[in-house]
Amino acid sequence: MSLFMRNYKPNSLATVYNVKLWRLNSTTADSVMKKDDNEEEEFRVLDILKKKDRMQRRVVRRADIQPDRADRMALDQKWGNVWPGPKTFHPSSVPLPLRQGYVSKGQAPPGKKANAELMKIPNFLHLTPPVIKSQCEALKQFCTEWPSLLNSEEAIEKHYPVEIITSDYCHASPSIRNPLARVVTLRFKLSTLKLDKHSRDKFIRLVGERYDKETDLVTITADRCPVRVQNLDYVNYLLTACYHEAWNVEEWEKEKTEEDMEYYEWNNNASKKSLVNWFMRTKNEFKELSEDEYRSFDVSVIPNAEGYKDAVSSLMNDGESDETVRKYGDSVRKLLGLPEKKVV
Amino acid sequence: MNISIIKLLQSGFGTSSVIAQCSPILASQLHTSAPLCRVVSGKYRITKKRDKPLTYEMANPPHYIAHRKSWNSWNTSNLKDGLRRSETAVEDEFIRRFMTGTWHGLVCSEVIIKRQFNHIRVAAIIRRAVSPTKMYFLLGYTEELLSNWLQCPVTLELQTVDSFKDVVFKYI
Repeated sequence: MSLFMRNYKPNSLATVYNVKLWRLNSTTADSVMKKDDNEEEEFRVLDILKKKDRMQRRVVRRADIQPDRADRMALDQKWGNVWPGPKTFHPSSVPLPLRQGYVSKGQAPPGKKANAELMKIPNFLHLTPPVIKSQCEALKQFCTEWPSLLNSEEAIEKHYPVEIITSDYCHASPSIRNPLARVVTLRFKLSTLKLDKHSRDKFIRLVGERYDKETDLVTITADRCPVRVQNLDYVNYLLTACYHEAWNVEEWEKEKTEEDMEYYEWNNNASKKSLVNWFMRTKNEFKELSEDEYRSFDVSVIPNAEGYKDAVSSLMNDGESDETVRKYGDSVRKLLGLPEKKVV
Repeated sequence: MNISIIKLLQSGFGTSSVIAQCSPILASQLHTSAPLCRVVSGKYRITKKRDKPLTYEMANPPHYIAHRKSWNSWNTSNLKDGLRRSETAVEDEFIRRFMTGTWHGLVCSEVIIKRQFNHIRVAAIIRRAVSPTKMYFLLGYTEELLSNWLQCPVTLELQTVDSFKDVVFKYI
């Protein structure tokens, strides 16, 4: 039919004939014919904006884009091989239906694809429990056993009394240096040092506020040198120097009088002198004792003198309070053989 | 009558101007209008046709950082007492500009820079508008040049999308 029509198109007479001929057979053919007629009569439209062409330009879709890796993963694969190290989140290799983002109520948060929020947050997909386990297994061969004798805190403290505290800093920048890493702190218990009464007192005076009375800890911190090793050496030097200085007895230290004492020492005081004098008089012994003899006098021969000594010392050292005063009164009554205070 | 009133007024104005000239305190300008406390940066205005595409990043203004969206630069310099603050900021800005210029018209999201030790990870969402060959070239080129300039290993971790429409969160 089309052949026929093409041949006879220019001839209007023939077309008319055609119409008559095909009208009997089919309506569709008839409409086709009519359309042809119209086209012939219409003017061509001038398409300045080339709208038709523009509409026809089709978006070229790439055919060579691979499907997601996550869709082709075996169920029994090793995840550590898929994600061996730290990496930014990639949606096509993570087979999880993740969503991230804030949306108003009733909406679903944005999915994992093209989601910049998921790429921003640091992920730990490379540190899954089985991977950590295998890495620990691999590292085990480089580890040595913990010394069996150092099984408790006390044992460690006993064998390693000196503690060195330093800090290492780890940061996200090309430099591994941090000025704070130079600070070295040395810490030990004062009771672990071999000191007598005089040297202990002197040591505490030397270290000053670095000694903590509550915990018996001496803390020496050094940050004046630019490198950690130098600070470490300096801290050790300070400890050695203080220790040996504490054992030194200078000539002028003997001139220390009772006024210079930082605490009440009963043996050196008038309280002991009068107690000894009173005790002698009760025994009817009248002797002139020297200062040293008073000091070295053994009060254990006097009955109840120990309690009196403690009471006086605590009253002077700890200050006056109901407790100390009561204790003092009781000890004096005991010492003098007086009856106990009656509770009214 | 009228003239005298005008004269009075004139004299009155005259005295006030004299006072103003003599005492700078009286003449000092007192602003009585309310201050304009309007934060504009990082916010987008709604268009008439409501056809302006926004990514998730753009849809959340800056005060939602750490609430609805996170930072684009991850490093320890912007923490308290962090080291190399200015250097890191300048380097990050340089990386961002270099990325947007090298991947011209392809970067669909913000350039995310994460630093771990001396390693710089640069992440971005890229449009698949150029051939994979070109993309691979650009990837190597960017990594090589950046690591040469910054003297640190640089890794590009890209995600590709078909078109910008994929990253659009909403239209305003």
